[in-house]
Amino acid sequence: MTAQTETPAEAQAVETRPPSTPNAKRRNWTGLWFVLPFFAAYALFLIWPTILGLYYSFTDKSITGRTPSWVGLDNWSEVFADERAWSALWNTAVFTLYSTPPLVILAIVFALLANRARKAGWFLRLAFFAPFVIPVSVVTTIWTWIYQPDGGLLNHYLELFGIQNPDTPVIWLQDENRAMWSVVITTVWWTIGFNFLLYLAALQTIPQDVYEASAIDGAGWFRQLRSITLPLLSRTTGLVITLQLIASLRIFDQMYLMTSGGPNRATEVAIHYIYISGFEGYRIGYASALSYVLFVLILLVSIVQFRLFSRKGA
Amino acid sequence: MTAVLDKPAATPAEAPARRRRFKRPSVGAVIVYVAVVLLAVLWLLPLLWALSTSLKTETEASLGQDVHWIPRDWSLDGYRAVFEQGDHLVWMVNSTVVSTIVTVLTLTLCVLAAYGFSRFDFPGKNVVFGVIIAGLMVPGEALIIPLFDIVGFLNLSNTYWGLALPQVVAPVMVFILKRFFDAVPRDYEEAAKIDGAGHLRVLWSVILPLSGPILAAVGIFTFIGSWNNFLWPLLVATDPSMMTLPVGLGVVTGGTACCTRRTWPPRSWARCRCSSCS
Amino acid sequence: MPNHPSPPGALSRRTLLTGTAAAAGLGLTGCGSLAVSLSDKTVVKQWNLLAGADGAIMTDLHTRFEDEYPDVDLQATTLGWGTPFYTRVVMGASGGNGADVATAHVSRIKSLAPDTLLDPFDLKEVEDAGLDPDAFPAEIWEKCFVDGDLYAIPLDTHALVNYYNREICEQIGVLDADRTLLETQGRDAYFEILREAKAITGQYGTSLDTFGGWRQFWAWYRQADGEMSFGDGDYEMDDDKALQAIETMYMMAEEGLCPTFADGAQCAANFENGAAGFVQVGNWEITRFRAFNEAQGLDFSMAEMPDFFGNRRTQGDSHSFILPHHNQWDPEVRKATIEYVAFMLHNSFDWGAGAGHTPAYLPVTESPEYQALEPNAEYSGVVDNVQLDPDVWFSGSGARLFDESGSVFQQVYSLALNPEEALALLKERIQDLVSLPNPVD
Repeated sequence: MTAQTETPAEAQAVETRPPSTPNAKRRNWTGLWFVLPFFAAYALFLIWPTILGLYYSFTDKSITGRTPSWVGLDNWSEVFADERAWSALWNTAVFTLYSTPPLVILAIVFALLANRARKAGWFLRLAFFAPFVIPVSVVTTIWTWIYQPDGGLLNHYLELFGIQNPDTPVIWLQDENRAMWSVVITTVWWTIGFNFLLYLAALQTIPQDVYEASAIDGAGWFRQLRSITLPLLSRTTGLVITLQLIASLRIFDQMYLMTSGGPNRATEVAIHYIYISGFEGYRIGYASALSYVLFVLILLVSIVQFRLFSRKGA
Repeated sequence: MTAVLDKPAATPAEAPARRRRFKRPSVGAVIVYVAVVLLAVLWLLPLLWALSTSLKTETEASLGQDVHWIPRDWSLDGYRAVFEQGDHLVWMVNSTVVSTIVTVLTLTLCVLAAYGFSRFDFPGKNVVFGVIIAGLMVPGEALIIPLFDIVGFLNLSNTYWGLALPQVVAPVMVFILKRFFDAVPRDYEEAAKIDGAGHLRVLWSVILPLSGPILAAVGIFTFIGSWNNFLWPLLVATDPSMMTLPVGLGVVTGGTACCTRRTWPPRSWARCRCSSCS
Repeated sequence: MPNHPSPPGALSRRTLLTGTAAAAGLGLTGCGSLAVSLSDKTVVKQWNLLAGADGAIMTDLHTRFEDEYPDVDLQATTLGWGTPFYTRVVMGASGGNGADVATAHVSRIKSLAPDTLLDPFDLKEVEDAGLDPDAFPAEIWEKCFVDGDLYAIPLDTHALVNYYNREICEQIGVLDADRTLLETQGRDAYFEILREAKAITGQYGTSLDTFGGWRQFWAWYRQADGEMSFGDGDYEMDDDKALQAIETMYMMAEEGLCPTFADGAQCAANFENGAAGFVQVGNWEITRFRAFNEAQGLDFSMAEMPDFFGNRRTQGDSHSFILPHHNQWDPEVRKATIEYVAFMLHNSFDWGAGAGHTPAYLPVTESPEYQALEPNAEYSGVVDNVQLDPDVWFSGSGARLFDESGSVFQQVYSLALNPEEALALLKERIQDLVSLPNPVD
């Protein structure tokens, strides 16, 4: 999102930005009034919770509303020894590892195909982007129901094509090993449209004569893909992967709705565990400490990505 | 977004090249078309299946029936249930209200702030801007616990304000808009100021008209984001009459919750029952 | 990008201000929901967790309530049973403006932190609404008080019972002259019947909810007089008796006498379609089986849980009504809420007849009408044999002990864990729960 919108603005900035006149930027308080409404909301709903969460992580604050008392580092030492917390983080990582490659590779493939088959453009855009605008609870309902072991659409076709024995239907969401994959497939189906559009837009900015020139030099289709298209898409890929990583670390909705973190906690992810310990388990203080661990992890990922990006850009 | 909206410019150089390709469709091109249309249809199958089921009767739609796409016994019962089981409409209204508040407020606050940062210099500006930019890296989901507490403390749980306000804080939008405003030439404003227009007037009648596409992009993105938000309304809207559509459908039984939760097979897609517990 | 700005003044600042004011006004009037503010009746928001067959009976009662109290708009919502429901009750109460009245299991009252999250009933307002506080079974009534305040009004008692398919039982020859199930003594005797039933059905002897193993565990553990008590950071459990209960599950599944994988809906379906001759589930499934009987024919009746270890104790609980905490009560709403509770209790005959629960309000259960009700009379002894869950903040219907032990037992039924492993895992899970700092007291 950011990069896309920046591109035109940036180009313009280079062309038309006038030398800033000292007159326009007189130092006074007027600007503050413009900034203040946003900053007030920002302070109330972002800065305050950030500080409050840190404070709560040192208390035994409970959702019941009883008076919290200071417990020092108890919550923190519990977090680091909490196997369930680490396994939730691990599951989050697993989800990220499973879901990112298909969401990148399939999106490129779809975009390449759609770019070639321009006559079918509107249909393809509709087909790949339509799921993205459907609310998550509808998506999960449709898929939960497709995954039903007995009489679900998926197993029906697996049986029809002889891939599966009708007497032993494959269990999808209720199976410890397959549940995560099932959620990943649903997620790919649901969210790929966004990446697809990003890639399609990027592809359409590649000038056609580059291909024609290389065709004259005798480069085949594959060669063109490898040495022209993919390198020119690398900026978009960087963006997509960044967005994907951050979105994956925040994954919650699909798991909450499809598997409730089960079976046997095989799909319990970080935000879900925060929800479980804070709201289901009443322990606001402990959940705050958990949140901070996740917070720091996301921050680290963002910073690393930011570094990688700025280096590549420079 | 802008780039997405822009149709690829059909350059004169490109047009004849394309026409040439269509004169003698290569085997490759045919394969591409077949593959891509198949893929697209495959991608639509889950939606078509949902549509097909929604038009069947409850018995025909239940599991254990054979899988067939065209309903034998067409029925709109599922849709009638959606309207009769009252809450669906309420949730739809709530979703619209909340997303609208979020979008209007986000646009208003972020435009004002971005304009302030872009056009003025005030003491502490860099610090304030830095603090807001740092917020780009703060994941909202990691703040749900204290935010829930704050909203309760402000007595805003189960209100539209409680649902909307925390979603309004979007540093990324301030950032995007500021960069855009930075690029808008100042000559027009100078002219307007000479005519005696105040800052707000300049913003409203000079800057904003130039910012149509970016405002649309920010607005649409904010609206969709809020419309599809699940986690925050799940926490704040405990009262079913305050739920948004995704939450209501997900949590209230008789919506879809029991299909996704404890029970399979569900009785039907539109209406299902759990009967395992009491 | 256009080259010139649009004519100035096309949209004035006043328009902007009116626009934002309108948006703000929309939000303000909408502080409550639009749906609620549009109603001119007294709105009572009721949340319940009854998504099963008994939920339908409750909905019927609600319709009758609305007929009788036309000034009250009762907005009832059913939420996912167990944790999802209780979590929302707690979150709503912590904001002080959730439900006006909610159902809750009596076993869960302590875990709902009544001190801060629930509002007590005033005994006088209860009497004013026509309820007699002395007309409840003493042991349940006592559990509704915390620190001398009344936090819940019990509606019923419910328990695991044993349904039997008369046709199959007849073939085995375990029916009395009046076509009721013969009493058996001991696990082996009952397993023998299950083997014969399995031979007839070709699939299972009995059907069980393999996802809700806690209920069966607690019934068999309590039949053997097992005790479970919780102290500060530790707990006491009789390992031998627990192992015996777990072995019962394992043996049954291993021999194919019960399914290895069946949730509540599936286990009931097994009984309906004749895949099992018995089903040990809650009395509330009676509505479902009756409906099936009317539609397709199912000759069934129900009895108390079979005697495995010397008696017929069973796991059970009570539904009750609670008042989640309100920042402030509108007196009208409060009055209508209490009237609603009273109505439900006065009319709980239908609750018992329809949903199979035994009403808690004694004037109802003692009525000759109820005494003659079949098959409710056949399992009426269940009230004396009901074993409530252990008394600790993470225990009770749908609470963490129930959920976490259930996931262990599920693996016993699916034969993924042998009894010894399951016991070890169970003890580990309980120890984890016990070591948690108590967030309630």
